[in-house]
Amino acid sequence: MNEILELLSYPFVIRAIVAGSLISICASVLGVILVLKHYSLIGHGLSEIGFASLSIASALKVPAMMVSTPSVIAASFVIMFVSQRYKTAGDIAIAIASSAALALGIVISSLTGSSSNTGAYLFGSVLAVSEGDLIFAIILSLIVMSAFVVFYNRLFLMTYNEDYAHSLGINTTLYQLMISVLTALVVVSGMRITGTLLISGVIILPAVTAKSLASRFKTLVIISGVVSFAAFIAGLAVSFAFNIPAGAGVILSNAAILISAKFLAMMIKRK
Amino acid sequence: MNERLNLQHAVIRYGDNIVINDVSLKVLAGEMIFITGVNGSGKSTLTRGIAGLLPLSSGTLTRSERMSYVPQVEEADRDFPACVREIVMTGTQRRKKLFYSRRDRLNADNAMRELKIENLSDREIKTLSGGQLRRVFLARALCGEPELLLLDEPCAGLDIESHRILFGVLEKLLANGCAILMVTHADSDLDGVKNSRVITISGGKIHE
Repeated sequence: MNEILELLSYPFVIRAIVAGSLISICASVLGVILVLKHYSLIGHGLSEIGFASLSIASALKVPAMMVSTPSVIAASFVIMFVSQRYKTAGDIAIAIASSAALALGIVISSLTGSSSNTGAYLFGSVLAVSEGDLIFAIILSLIVMSAFVVFYNRLFLMTYNEDYAHSLGINTTLYQLMISVLTALVVVSGMRITGTLLISGVIILPAVTAKSLASRFKTLVIISGVVSFAAFIAGLAVSFAFNIPAGAGVILSNAAILISAKFLAMMIKRK
Repeated sequence: MNERLNLQHAVIRYGDNIVINDVSLKVLAGEMIFITGVNGSGKSTLTRGIAGLLPLSSGTLTRSERMSYVPQVEEADRDFPACVREIVMTGTQRRKKLFYSRRDRLNADNAMRELKIENLSDREIKTLSGGQLRRVFLARALCGEPELLLLDEPCAGLDIESHRILFGVLEKLLANGCAILMVTHADSDLDGVKNSRVITISGGKIHE
């Protein structure tokens, strides 16, 4: 108990808990849309593009956010557009872009001698959460939550059937862009904590867990947010207890909850 | 003259392939048009073009703003965490409206009652049969109070009772001035509707 209280006395731990929790919740509610629209790979693609951009920022010695934010947002537009327009080709495009971006990031890190940072980029670090990151996370979560409240009916319809929304005269491209930008911002802010390799798991796993428990969109969004928050806290606790990277702890917690949820759903179905 | 749809010299392509070639069509209030043709003739393409889901390569399209489109039912339409009422309510959404009003809820209730699915209102859509889901999509279209209704094979998989309910609802809409375009394969659909025309699509062109 004393150890926990001692940990909580460190400002970086508090920053990591608050920023990480907010980003996890944002990631998981956006993840509901991505999972239901069968865009699950997008988070993975964006995170590896994020890794390349972090390597470039490090090589150029400029603030990481300055490079990664615009490049991940731009990539999210391209990936969403290709996925929407060419369906199957979208998956192929993501696979090509993500592996090429990962390779590019590794090459840049090696050539510029910044490969010591590679591990931190790939697996994340709670020590990396600055006050600026915390403010960014608070603002981002306010935007994501407000968007879900104000545009809930639209997001519901867009997720169910974009073509039908379009036939009603709704500007579907605008909402698609909104989802793309928010996903990109969540990836950029989340990859500092969980790492570029694991942020896609924070987006997708809670939504998949919720999908096996909920039968309504609204419930799914709420369960996804709660699961993600719980998994983040549990993962962070595990990472402090066993001195393992926080991102790995969070993803393993999410995976454990997913398996339990699937088992629970199976048991309920049998009854 | 109450024109609900005016399509002039419309061309729709998929890549280099011209599917709809120089098609013109006018539909007036209270008029019903049946669109027939063999598989792949471009019936659904024409309907999707009119619904604004496919761009016209050339030509002009003028139509009522209050338009509802009932697409064909696909397996993927069932794979979503929602109940019947939630899906029906989406039919009331419009460009500048973010929240549902009391009138929208009443319209949804009325539409479900008209299509005899009010007892399904809380059912998850994944538990519905194809015929039931078609009626849900029709109710969704109705609650938008359409002036122009586009139906893409709404009778496929409907039993006799559902078919009767559907045509009863369509007759009422026509009487209230709604114009209807219906893609169909069944000859039996073509009889008995007043003020109706049949157009056949072949080779990307229409023949009356």
